[in-house]
Amino acid sequence: MTHLPTRLCLALAIALGATAGALADPARDAILAGYEKAAGEPLSADRGKAFFNATHAGGKPDTPTCTTCHTANPKAAGKTRAGKAIEPMAVSANPNRFTDPAFVEKWFGRNCNSVLGRDCTTREKGDVITWLSNL
Amino acid sequence: MMTPDTISASPSRDAAGPVRTWDPLVRLFHWSLVATVGTALATGLFTAADWIDVHVWAGAAMAGLVGIRLAWGFLGGRNARFSGFVTGPRAVLAHLKALRAGEGERHLGHNPAGAVMIVALLAVLAGLAVTGLAVFGGVLKSGPLAWLVPFETGWSLRELHEVLAYGLIALIGLHLAGTVFESIRTRENLARAMMTGTKEARPGDHAAPAVRARPLLAGLVMAALLGAAGAGLFALAQRPAFNVPTAALDPVYADECGACHMAYHPSLLPRQAWEKLLAGLGDHFGEDASLPDATLEAIRTYVMANAAEAFDTKPAHMLARINPDMPFTLTATRFWQRVHGDLPAAVFKRAKVGAKGNCQACHRDAESGLFYPGNISIPKE
Repeated sequence: MTHLPTRLCLALAIALGATAGALADPARDAILAGYEKAAGEPLSADRGKAFFNATHAGGKPDTPTCTTCHTANPKAAGKTRAGKAIEPMAVSANPNRFTDPAFVEKWFGRNCNSVLGRDCTTREKGDVITWLSNL
Repeated sequence: MMTPDTISASPSRDAAGPVRTWDPLVRLFHWSLVATVGTALATGLFTAADWIDVHVWAGAAMAGLVGIRLAWGFLGGRNARFSGFVTGPRAVLAHLKALRAGEGERHLGHNPAGAVMIVALLAVLAGLAVTGLAVFGGVLKSGPLAWLVPFETGWSLRELHEVLAYGLIALIGLHLAGTVFESIRTRENLARAMMTGTKEARPGDHAAPAVRARPLLAGLVMAALLGAAGAGLFALAQRPAFNVPTAALDPVYADECGACHMAYHPSLLPRQAWEKLLAGLGDHFGEDASLPDATLEAIRTYVMANAAEAFDTKPAHMLARINPDMPFTLTATRFWQRVHGDLPAAVFKRAKVGAKGNCQACHRDAESGLFYPGNISIPKE
């Protein structure tokens, strides 16, 4: 009877580890590492949050900010201007996010041009992913 | 059970009293025709497009009734049989002339003018059934003639179908006016007679020749006629429709073009519009939707092979008339605006719709490129 709590703790620890494992993803880590290396400085979730929520100039008039389509709550689904649902951006709500480098680059390429009228820097991309991976 | 009216209806020239004039089949036919034609007219002229199935089935029932009446016109009894009341033009003119002189005979059955009306109504109804079938097949690519009739033919016949429908309305008006006129002239409610089946026998009545109805034979003929027509039409309806998209969307196209909006079937734009759209993906409806070159070329090949020119559907034909100022904006075409003009703007703002370009919110078959009107259901919220 005395060793039951020990077993329970062990099971709990394994379960927690499994959860953490589901969120961490080697492909995402590699993408982040690549951006961090190219940026030449540590990535920042706070900067990513500010960038995501900021209203930018220079982009197309209908899309001044990331939140136009993704909404201010990255854990919730967004909506395109054509009315189609966008899966949540936060990794905690959508574990597949930021695991396909080509997909990530395609959409940063399009959406940075739409919102800012230019490519995003590697630091900006890395900051946003860092924030969205730790929500 | 049909009772041959020759037994009960033997109007004596001197007798006064109720005499059976309209047999049960004639009466049932008449009022069923009123119901089916009324439904077909209402759904054809007034209701929204998604009533198409009711319209088509009302028309089919009407055609079946006309078939039954035609058989009964050759095998029914007195007052039902065509030979007893359909006359030549000379007799019709003589009847009208006598009416003008105020000395027309009273007919127990149909008078010569009424007979003309019956022939005209049956002919126009048959014409409506045939043209309706062809329009349904050619324009909506549905029903027994979907495999046969090209869109252009169906579209032209649609005008004929409409002209016949307005002709039918005119005939119905004349029929009602004639019924009122004759009811007043002969001091007898003819509409009620068509319900009860009896009229008052009076001296000097003109009666159709006595003839024995053949209900059993008529029943067999009707069953054979309707059975053969039904089976034939059903078999024809199983054939694949003429030049209609059937393949699923190309997966690369569906994935790339369906990322932000529904993946529109490529047949909704003509090739010329596709060229302009693909050349301007860097600013696609206010957003950058550019594609890697290899993907772009794969999509170009697919949409060019499946553009509006490649199919015979109504959307492919109608949306091919692009708005030159906005060549690939479906909602900017005159066709789109005409067929959606009745909808309040609020419909497109409902949560389940979101935007005018979200076709599949209301058109269940939008992705197929068919847009059959019976597949419309507008979300309530």
